Amino acid sequence: MTGRLSATVAVVLTALAIAGCSNQVALRNPTLPDPLLNQLPLKVAVRYSPEMSNYVHEEEVLGRQKWTINLGEANKLAFRHLFGSMFSEVVEVDAETGAETVGADALIEASIEAFEFALPAQSRSDAYTIWIRYRLRIFDAAGTEISNWPIAAYGKAGSEGMFSADESLARAAVLAMRDAAAMIGLRFARETGLGDPGGNAVPAGGGEEAEERLNARTDKQPAAEEPADVAANTGNTARGDFTDDRG
Amino acid sequence: MTEARRNAAVSTGPCRTLVLGIAGMAVLLGGCVTARLEQEKSAATGIMDGEAVVVMARSYHLGNETERGFTDCVGDELGNGRTGLAVMPDEQFVDALFPWLEPRTAPAETKALQRFMQRPGVRDRIRDSGVRYIVWLDGDTERTGGGGSLSCAAGPGGGGCFGFAWWENEANYEASIWDLKELKSAGSVKADVSGTSYLPAIVIPVPLIARTKTAACKNLAGRLRSFIADTGTTG
Repeated sequence: MTGRLSATVAVVLTALAIAGCSNQVALRNPTLPDPLLNQLPLKVAVRYSPEMSNYVHEEEVLGRQKWTINLGEANKLAFRHLFGSMFSEVVEVDAETGAETVGADALIEASIEAFEFALPAQSRSDAYTIWIRYRLRIFDAAGTEISNWPIAAYGKAGSEGMFSADESLARAAVLAMRDAAAMIGLRFARETGLGDPGGNAVPAGGGEEAEERLNARTDKQPAAEEPADVAANTGNTARGDFTDDRG
Repeated sequence: MTEARRNAAVSTGPCRTLVLGIAGMAVLLGGCVTARLEQEKSAATGIMDGEAVVVMARSYHLGNETERGFTDCVGDELGNGRTGLAVMPDEQFVDALFPWLEPRTAPAETKALQRFMQRPGVRDRIRDSGVRYIVWLDGDTERTGGGGSLSCAAGPGGGGCFGFAWWENEANYEASIWDLKELKSAGSVKADVSGTSYLPAIVIPVPLIARTKTAACKNLAGRLRSFIADTGTTG
């Protein structure tokens, strides 16, 4: 009896020790709200890279804790919902199908290029932060690339409560996806010249600060073409190698 | 029951009373908290039936660090009691207006309100929600000092702690009230609360915790309630 109890205790302690060094965060397919945007009268074909459907990020933090952040198909679902609201017609196509094949006005190729996160111990704050860099390559009806658009999205969630690390990171990931969706929704026409550039975009007058925050990227090095005041606005979102390398 | 066990049982009675007494004292005494509230009212306010308030943290893109729990606390306190206001959950409001109140897109100044209301569908959604005021919270609670020393030891015969430690927290929050009907700022309320917590220990540590953030929340919410409900512009 005592032997069995000891064995049980040993197993539990071992499990706790392993769990203490490994953290799992899983996103349960969050849904974006329906965006309040003027729908663009475009038929758009969309192609998702494989990692948009199943994204898993693994990282060992400070040489001790291993973190596994499983976004699953959350990115694809979020983009699908966004594009469905933004355009009058959306067709999903595979890697071999071009815009001209399905008679679309444009083809969007969406992918994830980079993912980073920071724990409170790293950022010396109470916040969990996530950076996701997406890339949208957009082709016109003839198959010519008209935009190669990197989108550096940022989400930040506070750490409150004793066991909330995974919840906070999941929340930060959702906020980053919403950030990307907001940028795409507001900037698409301007970035691509398709649709009505004035319809949803933040106007030049009366919304300067929102425009600056939309311009704010998550890189440390201001781009040459960007004014200094906009670059300065990126300070609290700076992270790692998130440079705006427009291809 | 053997004699030894009976003695042990007898001796736990006063011990339990002592522990409960110390715990009760700790709860009753707490630490020292001092609060200072300032308000500046620049426009007439007032709230009618069917009108609501939403409490939101300012964007972290603007460097704000207001804790989620604090925003929830102020919202709950504003809605509590007989004179409570109708408070709409901030997440519901932000979702209803997606993507116009995201950290990167939300208006940071009242001069952007006019444009904000002209976004597709925004005016209708706000009218449907009944939200008349947005309360933007800015600020956080930080530990500003501390000292003392406390050591604990345990052995086969028992354990205990000895020493004295203290720490000080400061909660500085500012609430800016925007009137979505008049499309202008109605003013602001500031709460600066400092609290010192103590932890004396003679065998048993007795935490005397100053609930600085809670005090800031209750004070700020109480003042916000009167700020919004009371008509007139006197600050």
